[in-house]
Amino acid sequence: MLLPLSRDTSTQAFFRFRPVGEKVVITNHEGSFLLLAKDEFQQFAQGKVAAGTPLHALLTERNFLRGPVNDRGVERLRARKRFIHPGPNLHIVVVTLRCNETCVYCHASRADMDATHTDLTPELAEQVVDKILQTTSPDVTIEFQGGEPLVNFPVVKHILAYANKKNESIGKKLEFTMVSNLSLMDEEKLAWLTANKVQICTSIDGPEHLHDKQRKLPSLSAHKAATYWIKRINDAYKQMGLDDTLYHVEALLTTTMETLPQWKEVVDTYVSLGCRALFLRPVDPFGFADKTGHRVEYPRTEYMKFYRSAVDYMLELNAQGVLILERFAAIFLTKILGGEDPNFLDIRNPCGAGIGQIAYNYDGKVFTCDEGRMLHEMGDSTFLIGDISTPYRQLMGHETVRALTIASNLDAQPDCVNCAYNPYCGVCPVHNHKTQGSIFGRMRESTLCAVHKGIQDYLFEKLGQNDPQVMETFRRWTTVRERTHFLQTCAT
Amino acid sequence: MSEFPVEISDASARLELDEAVYPLEAVYGAAYIFIDRCWVLIDKPAPGKWRVTLSAKKDGVDLRALGGEFANELLSCAWRHQITQQNQAMIEAVTTQAVGGAMGPPTLDELEKFDFSAETFEDPLGIAKSWEEKYKKK
Amino acid sequence: MTELRFHRQVYRGTAVDEAVKSFGSFAEFDLVEEADYWVVRLTARDPARERKIAGELGNWALGLTVQKRGH
Repeated sequence: MLLPLSRDTSTQAFFRFRPVGEKVVITNHEGSFLLLAKDEFQQFAQGKVAAGTPLHALLTERNFLRGPVNDRGVERLRARKRFIHPGPNLHIVVVTLRCNETCVYCHASRADMDATHTDLTPELAEQVVDKILQTTSPDVTIEFQGGEPLVNFPVVKHILAYANKKNESIGKKLEFTMVSNLSLMDEEKLAWLTANKVQICTSIDGPEHLHDKQRKLPSLSAHKAATYWIKRINDAYKQMGLDDTLYHVEALLTTTMETLPQWKEVVDTYVSLGCRALFLRPVDPFGFADKTGHRVEYPRTEYMKFYRSAVDYMLELNAQGVLILERFAAIFLTKILGGEDPNFLDIRNPCGAGIGQIAYNYDGKVFTCDEGRMLHEMGDSTFLIGDISTPYRQLMGHETVRALTIASNLDAQPDCVNCAYNPYCGVCPVHNHKTQGSIFGRMRESTLCAVHKGIQDYLFEKLGQNDPQVMETFRRWTTVRERTHFLQTCAT
Repeated sequence: MSEFPVEISDASARLELDEAVYPLEAVYGAAYIFIDRCWVLIDKPAPGKWRVTLSAKKDGVDLRALGGEFANELLSCAWRHQITQQNQAMIEAVTTQAVGGAMGPPTLDELEKFDFSAETFEDPLGIAKSWEEKYKKK
Repeated sequence: MTELRFHRQVYRGTAVDEAVKSFGSFAEFDLVEEADYWVVRLTARDPARERKIAGELGNWALGLTVQKRGH
């Protein structure tokens, strides 16, 4: 006689947990999460959640209890890992190391304006484009960096024209972006950049006195120059009929010790410029920051106080109808609430080094990522994977690319393997190498881990409080709207 | 509370380790990370024991802190060794997908250079043999 | 004279040999095999640098041993 199989449906499936505020967050492989009250967590952990209760239904729906994984779980896992296979989509081209601005934390190790030997030549630029268009990724973003890219504007123009011509027979979805301090912008350059659909990104460190103290131009205010052109470019987009909630200059912040007490002034500055997003980036250990660390660095506990104050203020502003989002929060919330991965290469598992991005230096040397290139300028060429004559497959198959893919796999990493934020997080092996001597690092001592964990703790505390206004703002921050205007050519 | 077991002498920090807790792979991993700032010697003074001696290359280094940092790195390496063994299949699958996807298919030139005649695996059961080869009949 | 004792269960003999060759121009070397150890006795040409040469040789042998594992 066959007896019916009985399954104990209160047994936990795989989960990770972390106390956050008054609650306990649990997560699983697919990235589903629940915030449980402490007594609920105790019931769950002890396998005593009674069948038929609302908690049991919720745990079942999100695959926290043993049983067949439902379609939702499979789809979420697929969505979380959709970026793994396609290949490098971001290609950073350093068109020159020359820069007219001196920033106290410059991570690019800029060169003086007479260092013309650090300009990318048109001939080498063509070879760089040829290499870029061999990527397996159907989407390609070419990002112009420096130094200051506007210093070598003729080569920027040449790359765009050459890439578009070559792409006619290849059919990648091609976009261009430029990271610029904007001080060398003029109406002619602006006309060309807007006509050729180059997205523009710049730096604003906060109010004028703070920005100009950290970013020095020889004869004028760096802040005045940048803010003038931010407004001018945003006006140009409006004149072209583009939606100003979607098309505007992106601005980034580098948080230094001076910035920390000025969180309100920083947010107010961005709002006054019409910026819709603010990226509260901590200072990194590359370039000049290695030597100026005693002036610019700070404990990450202090950074988290700054971050919380700034984002609390931004949430208040959003409740008043002022639309401004924080970029770190948006990236994490897209994964947590949206179940999607926005493919931000520095916060994904595995990271984008080699497999998601490549950096091409002005001299044709090729690196796994921009941070690897920055380290090279500091004398450490660990992340050099070849030069422009190296065949594409050899670059991608380089042992350093493999090593970084393994080193940034959170399921191979102590601490991360057990961390509740494993489904949403990412590490930077180059950062580990620079600060701790190995590409694996030790996360308990990692300043980057402290930031990622700190931000996610903050976000989950907010999610646990479940304030309707905050939840609405968070959902808005996870809405990804495609900016199709910047597409050069659609894939055939 | 007992003192952290780092022996300081002759400008060196010395740690004795239990092999059952710290496999040699972990000792190598931790030692390698210190060779830019220390001279590292690994010894096996007795069965089941390692001894690691770290001599600072520069003067004025806090040797106790150095030994403590080494112990932390060693723990990290030992645990990572365990994790990678347990999760080997998942790590290999992700790495293969990622690197294979980024590389794309081989070019005709690469295929032309590939040595298809090389024996790729042992075949004790003769699975790869054709019927004719295996049974000597058509 | 400085003596370096490389345990056979930790260091590859070929790695020790290669390390000694790499530092050949900086010191005089005497190599001895014991049951459990590869023993290297070195006398640096510049006595002030003997400690450094011994240390770097040890690191070199360790690096080569780690590199060649699995090959």
